[in-house]
Formats: sequence, C-alpha cells, structure tokens
Amino acid sequence: MLKMTHLSKVYRTEVVETYALRDFSIDVKEGEFVAVTGPSGSGKTTFLTIAGLLETFTGGEYLLDGADVSGLNDNARSKIRNEKIGFIFQAFNLIPDLNVFDNVEVPLRYRGMKSAERKRRIMDALERVGLASRIKHYPAELSGGQQQRVAIARALAGSPRLLLADEPTGNLDTQMARGVLELLEDIHREGATIVMVTHDPELAARAQRNVHIIDGQEVDIAEEPRFHADHATGSHA
Amino acid sequence: MEIGPILSTLRRHKITAFLLVIEIALTCAIVSNAVFLISQRLERMKMPSGVAEHQLVMVQMTHTTPARDAMARTQADLAALRAIPGVKDVTLASQVPLTNSSSNTEIRTDPSQKLPTLNATQYFGQDLIRTFGAQLVAGRDFRPDEYLDYAKVIHNLDLVRTQTSSVVITEALAERLWPGESALGKRIYFAGVETRVVGVVKSLVRPSLFEGDGGAQWSMIFPLRMDVNHASRYVLRTEPGSRRRVLDAAARVLRQLDPHRIILEKQTFAEIRTDYFRNDRAMAGILLGVIVALLTVTALGIVGLASFWVAQRRRTIGVRRALGATRGDILRYFQTENFLLATIGIALGMVLAWGINLFLMQHYEVARLPWIYLPAGALALWLIGQLAVLGPALRASHVPPVVATRSV
Repeated sequence: MLKMTHLSKVYRTEVVETYALRDFSIDVKEGEFVAVTGPSGSGKTTFLTIAGLLETFTGGEYLLDGADVSGLNDNARSKIRNEKIGFIFQAFNLIPDLNVFDNVEVPLRYRGMKSAERKRRIMDALERVGLASRIKHYPAELSGGQQQRVAIARALAGSPRLLLADEPTGNLDTQMARGVLELLEDIHREGATIVMVTHDPELAARAQRNVHIIDGQEVDIAEEPRFHADHATGSHA
Repeated sequence: MEIGPILSTLRRHKITAFLLVIEIALTCAIVSNAVFLISQRLERMKMPSGVAEHQLVMVQMTHTTPARDAMARTQADLAALRAIPGVKDVTLASQVPLTNSSSNTEIRTDPSQKLPTLNATQYFGQDLIRTFGAQLVAGRDFRPDEYLDYAKVIHNLDLVRTQTSSVVITEALAERLWPGESALGKRIYFAGVETRVVGVVKSLVRPSLFEGDGGAQWSMIFPLRMDVNHASRYVLRTEPGSRRRVLDAAARVLRQLDPHRIILEKQTFAEIRTDYFRNDRAMAGILLGVIVALLTVTALGIVGLASFWVAQRRRTIGVRRALGATRGDILRYFQTENFLLATIGIALGMVLAWGINLFLMQHYEVARLPWIYLPAGALALWLIGQLAVLGPALRASHVPPVVATRSV
C-alpha cells in the first residue's frame, strides 16, 4: 500500500543542508495499522507529509498503492490526496465557518460527487462516529473529542485506501483519547490501512507494528534508549 | 460550485461581507447614474447646430458711439468682408447659434389663441440662410424684395403689421406646430404680426438652450437687414482651410474701416462650440473622475478584504488543499465568493440606482435612466470585482497543503 525506499528529504539554505529524512525505507501492507514513533524533530511529521503527498521528497522512491508518485504534478497529487488518502490531524483542522455536515462534505465536493451520493456518504460517516445528530453544529460548539470524530468522519467519507493520522489524540484528554483510539481500532478491524504518527508509546502499543524514527532514519527501538527518555518528558515532533 | 458553503461562511462574517456589499451597491448605483449623466452631456455636446460649422467664422464687435449712418456703414463692411480672399458669404446676424445671447418670442398658430403655443427664437440677417449654410428641406430662401431694414421696422411696426411677412422655420418647429403636415403656407402670429412660412430648414439650433434641450431647434428666420447699431456679429462663410486667415483679415478690415470699433471676439465656429459646451465637458470630466475614484476605492476595498480573508484563512486553505482541492479549486473559491458578494451588491445597487435617478428626475432636469445602464454597471462591477480579487485569490491558491500540518 505504502512503500518508501531509501527516501530522503533535504531542506537546503545557502549555507546548510538539513536532512529531515535520510535513506528512509518503510513498507506498509494493505490492512496494516502501523505506528510511526520518534522524539521531537526526528522526522515523523516529515514522513507523514511526504506519505500524504503534502510535500515532495528529495531522493529515493515512493510507491503509493503500487504507483510511483515522484513525478506527479500538483493537480495529480491533489487528486490522489482526495481519492486515496484520509487525513486525521492533531489539531482536528475542521473549517470553523462550516457546520459538521459541510465540513465532512469538503473532500467529497472536490471529487465532483453528486449531491445525493455526497449526502449518503456524509450521513454514513457521521453515524459511524456517532455524530449524525450534530450535523448543524459548528466546530466551536463541539468538544475536542467530538471535533476529532468529525475529522475522522471527514476522512472516512471518501472511502480512502489509506488513513494517515498525525498525533490523533494529542489535543485530547485521556477519556476522549481513548474513545478516538477505539474508533480507529474499529476502523482498522473493518479493513482500513492506518499509519499513525505519535510520540505516545501507549498509543503506539495499540498498533500492529511500530516504526521508530531517529534523525530521519528508521531504527530498531531496542537499540535506541533515547526514545524512552524523550517520551517520558512528553515532547513530540 | 461551492455556493452553499460559501454563503454559509459569509453568514459567519456578516459585518465585513455587509460592508463590502454596501460599498459595491453604492458604487453600482452612483456609477450607473454618473455614466448616464455623462452620456447625456456627450449627447448634448454633439447637438447639431444646423450651420456649416467647419466653414464659419465670427467677428463680434462693439462701437464706442453709435454709427451715424448705420446701414451705409454695414453695407461698406459687408462689401469689404466679401472682398477678403477665401470668403464665400457674409452676413451681419442678429444672433449666432451656441453663443448664449438670444432673441425669443412667444408664437401662436391661431391669432385668437389666449395662450401662446410655444416660445421660439428669431434670427434676423441678410443672406443669413445661405451664409450659415442652413439646409433648406422645403420651400425657398427669401427673395431680395422681401427684406426690410430692422431699424425701420422697430421704429414703425406697422411696416410688418399691415402685411403678411415671410418666415423660414426649422423642421423641428414645423413638426411641433403642425405634426405630420406641410408647414409651407401656414401662418405664425406674434406681437400683432402675421407671418407665412415660405421655407423649412433641416436644423438651426437656438443660441441659448434656456428652455432645456427639448425646444433646442425651435427657430425662425425673418428677412430683416441688420445694421451695426442693432447687431454686433459678422458671420463669414469661408473656403475650406482658410478660416484662421479669413478671421484675422476680417478683424483687420473692420478696424481699418472704423477705428472707433472694438473687436470683442473673433472665433471659428469650432471654438464657439467648444466654449458653449465647456461646462458640459467639465461636468463630464468631474463625473468621470468620480467614477474612476469610486471604482478604484471599491476595487481596493475588495483587494483589502480578500487579502485579509486569505491571510485569516491560510490554515483552512491548507486543509482544503490537503483534502484534495487543486490550486484551481482555491482560486475559484475566492472568485465565486467575490462574485456572490458583487451580485448581492449589484442587485441592491440597481434598486438604489433607480431611486437616485427618481430623485434626480424630481429635483433636476434629468431624464429617466434607461434600463441598459443597469446591466452595463453590473457587468463593470463584476469585472472589477473579479480583477480585484484575482491577486489575493492567486496568493491563496499557492498556499501549500503542508500548512495543514503546521501548528498555529
């Protein structure tokens, strides 16, 4: 589903080159639930933005759903984001001026879907996250947990091949975080492929497989004690 | 099209959206009326004079003391002016079109009428029709034996009251007095004088449009010879390309013939027209300035608000891009939003334009605003709106999707 081979991402200024990812490889199979962990500044978020085609990469190869995405133009990348990828952000990223229904509708509109089909999918997705009764509410009228559920509904409504979650419980209290995590697990059990970036080892432990990043490279957790020291302070990428 | 979500978003920003709508509405209303007023002024400036403008020059003079034998002085002047190379015809006219100095009279078509039919202007001068280059469309010019001396007539009105005089009138006056009929042979009465229409000229504008433009062409020409004590304007018809030279020569000749004479003005008819419509031109210029200023302020308002919204929504633009919006989708979003605001403003503006026009009609001599000015104004504002929002919308379309993952 998602395969990166010797991938690198370099930020260049006139005087310095900074590697956000270096010789990074990962292979996520269809239906897997993978947690990508690492300390602050390790390159987790860079990995996620490249995986979600939000940013380009400098070198290496990236196959998404079997297709090489390195040479795609901006419109083609937008189309893949819209049709194949569902995003769940730490800050929810709902549009504050749109109600719940309209927020979930956003990606479906960009797909050019008919109104009746959009409505069916929106209601299905909102029922799936238990918020079908809140379609007229605005984000500011919802709790953090509810907002993240709306964001998950928005990600699910387009039936994506891949769900990318960036610290999905990072802004939630423990109870709300548990609810959101259980929802993600349910979605995974139904066959979705999920890649979740987190600095929280407890959250990572719920995934099928963990990939740990340090300094832009995948490392074996057992060989990298810094991770444990770092997450204990609560810092994250 | 995202009309529903855009309207939903605008409802959450009522005050800023309302202010922009009001700005567009006021601009639409004022611009529609101002364009109409300018077009009226331009139309007025093109008003036909009925004379051969490209061939006529005028010398206006005054005497420090009245001439002793005014008619002899006049005949000598005319002979000398005719002798100037390039002069085709010359007349001493009682008045000249578009000079703001006119002689008018109330006329009747039936001597028993209690109220006059209308007020028309009266031109006097020997060979005036030929010299002015007025185009006869029916009947004839005056015969030499029909001319009387103006000075004799005003001292003895019986000269014209005891016999029927001839008059040549304009086509517009003929149509106003006898709609659909031939005016030839018809009678016009004024001040106890009976006149018979012997000719009709296509057009001859009044010297002064004091009654508004409706009666601008209500003119009559009488066979009266003017003299230098009763008229001050020599009008000369020239050969093509000799106006300026003839004008200078005419002024020199007139001064030589009578050193006590003062030349007040020497103008080509093109200059007379320019002078006459100076205020109209200035008004059109001022209105044009108002239009440009209003459109500029509105465009800047749109740019300002759109830029503010782009900056304010940078994060949500990034989210939209992350969720699959192309750059084109973002560009269209802002253009559609502007189009909707402009449409609401324009709709209000059209109603307001109609109201302003009603006010102007009631308080000033302004005609009803033709409906065509409303869609024209609307189109202008839509175009300006789209152009004004293009810059901020392009900036918005270049917000990268990765913004969605960045902390606020």
